[in-house]
Amino acid sequence: MGGQSRLFKNGRIASADSPDLREADVLVDADGIITAIGPALTASEGSEVIDCAGCLLVPGMFDVHVHAREPGFEHKETLATCAAAALHGGVTGLVLMPDTSPPVDSGNLVKSAMDLVSEVSAIPMYQSGCLTKGREGKELAGFSGMAARGVPMLTDADRTVPCPDVMRRCMEYACDFDLLVTSHADTPALSKAGAINEGSVSYRFGLPGIPAISQEIAIDRDIHVARHTRARLHLQQLSTACGLASVRRAKESGVPVTCEVSPQHLVLCEDDIQDYNTHFKFNPPLRSAGDVEALAAGLIDGSIDVIASDHAPHTEFEKSSDFGSAPFGASGLETSVLVLYDRFIHGGMFGWDLLIQRYSVAPRQLIGLEPVGIAEGAAAEFFVFDPAATTKITRDSLRTKSPVSPFFGESLRGAIRGTTVRGEWFP
Amino acid sequence: MSELTPRKDLLDIESLEREEIEYVLENAAPFKQLFQRSVKKVPTLRGKTVLNLFYEPSTRTSSSFEVAANRMSADVTNFTVSSSSVVKGESLLDTIETLQAMRSDYIVIRHQAAGVPGIVAKHTGASVINAGDGYHAHPTQALLDAMTIREVYPEYPGRRVVIVGDILHSRVARSTSTLLNKLGIEVAVLGPGSLVPAGRHDFMTRLRSWDEVFDWKPDAVYLLRVQMERQEGQFFPSIAEYHKMYGMNSQRLVGMRKLGAYLMHPGPVNRGVEITDEAMRYERSLISTQVENGIAVRMAVLHWLKPETDKD
Repeated sequence: MGGQSRLFKNGRIASADSPDLREADVLVDADGIITAIGPALTASEGSEVIDCAGCLLVPGMFDVHVHAREPGFEHKETLATCAAAALHGGVTGLVLMPDTSPPVDSGNLVKSAMDLVSEVSAIPMYQSGCLTKGREGKELAGFSGMAARGVPMLTDADRTVPCPDVMRRCMEYACDFDLLVTSHADTPALSKAGAINEGSVSYRFGLPGIPAISQEIAIDRDIHVARHTRARLHLQQLSTACGLASVRRAKESGVPVTCEVSPQHLVLCEDDIQDYNTHFKFNPPLRSAGDVEALAAGLIDGSIDVIASDHAPHTEFEKSSDFGSAPFGASGLETSVLVLYDRFIHGGMFGWDLLIQRYSVAPRQLIGLEPVGIAEGAAAEFFVFDPAATTKITRDSLRTKSPVSPFFGESLRGAIRGTTVRGEWFP
Repeated sequence: MSELTPRKDLLDIESLEREEIEYVLENAAPFKQLFQRSVKKVPTLRGKTVLNLFYEPSTRTSSSFEVAANRMSADVTNFTVSSSSVVKGESLLDTIETLQAMRSDYIVIRHQAAGVPGIVAKHTGASVINAGDGYHAHPTQALLDAMTIREVYPEYPGRRVVIVGDILHSRVARSTSTLLNKLGIEVAVLGPGSLVPAGRHDFMTRLRSWDEVFDWKPDAVYLLRVQMERQEGQFFPSIAEYHKMYGMNSQRLVGMRKLGAYLMHPGPVNRGVEITDEAMRYERSLISTQVENGIAVRMAVLHWLKPETDKD
């Protein structure tokens, strides 16, 4: 533990329960436990006082969709740089995707990943496992070994399980271990070598398109298999209004399904892609303006359970090739909270309570963790947010190894002053 | 003619101003007249270098640029990269460094990936001319098409052109239709539903049969090459069926003659696929005029663009 007690002075506390903010000081002891919350607290001798005047204290976010790239792709990101990025973005816990090299498809690999995490990561990270061996969509991976090592979910990460029969067996078998099956819904026979949403923009750019139906059909398929098997299904990275409508219908009829959306799919659409800028190349692709609007509505009404960044680091060099050849994805951990504050909270579209619900509480609950809140007796796991400041997103403002973001050049309202977790303060 | 804002690169048609298009087309005419003379050369680009960089095999476009550059007295280097020797995309920045070292004034580039000429243009002071990138754009083809139409229809606004074939995978359809639309020419398309994308330009009227084409009364019919090599997956049942449904044959020539419509094609043609032998001999075919105008337009483009080669 940090061994340093801290007093967060004059801040306002945000919570998942109410859009109102509570003005109070927060005292955190040397073990990182919140010992007092109240007005005009005084710091004991030797404690650090952090002036939070004008700032908010916000419970740490939890990201269920992070590619940390280690082992195998350390040139893109490492667990250490990923943790630094998370802390810089107010994220105090996350789920690691298993698409490393080798892919995490057995209990032993989960163990070695978690050993590495405990050595190098400043924040809790939970290693998910593959649904199929080598993420090849053919044979089931070692579920029982991975379950014994406590994987929070199984997913082939950015790859759908193409064969419905294999997906069915995965879901049936996952039920035996009460494992969450997480699906990157996509129909490879439709998305093919696509690089961008199919439509007028793909036509204008002359790029192969990824049709909306490639995700929508896969969502429907996975929902039907989940209904049939009663497996718990989590759908990653919703991108279309129709796909969202399917999830809504499934929930109404009692299918155990949850879903997530990324900040980029909530605020950017295909029309924002200018001049073949590969920083806007995502999988699923940025869709139409109408889809963006529907996703935001779904986030607010609760049809979408979880916000997840799909932090997908790549090097600048990899992203500097032509749009069709460049890899999918960008860094997201450091910009998620800022983007959502700038585009939604600041304008009153929703309050901090909703952001905390969708990006801190629900994601933890999804994998069976207790939510973190700012309360006496609880571990201090929050960040200090200054709504009056602005943050200019540039390649040098990020702590990830991957300076790739569709928000470069933007001055986003708000700034994260620092994050505390496990008794440490990371300014 | 009034002075235009200097332009370094020609990457697409979308970004061109109408005045720039008119300027290039106006200048192409005197270059074409030059071809009637015994000495077909002008000294305009003496001492300048043109690099013809082709990542996709192309005899016609590459030769057309070479002839154009030669007639402008530029030194031409042809550089054909077989796709097998290229690591897809990744080596692009390395290639650009190599190109920089060659200190060319003009780089004519054809690449199988959309957007590559733009990336090259950003990293070099040389004027970059897009000679075709993926499905995206082929601006000099569009300019030569417009020149060809202007020659037969000097009062071109309001004229009608129907483009027939693979609209989805055709950079020619994209660039030529955009240019015609900018010039006030109406554009319609005919082709199998699987090759006429819903996301096409709004101004492209969809026609569903040759009957509808002739009812629409086009002034020119523009046949696209059936790109058999560029199709991933099957878009129509067979070449025979394509020919039957969309090919230019003797029966459709009757309709053409009735309208007095011109026939165009970007070449090279697939005889027996999009066009029959007989239709190749159609008296109002502009296909060889297009080839000739291609050289004139490319000379006009070389004349128009302003490299920033002193900068680097």
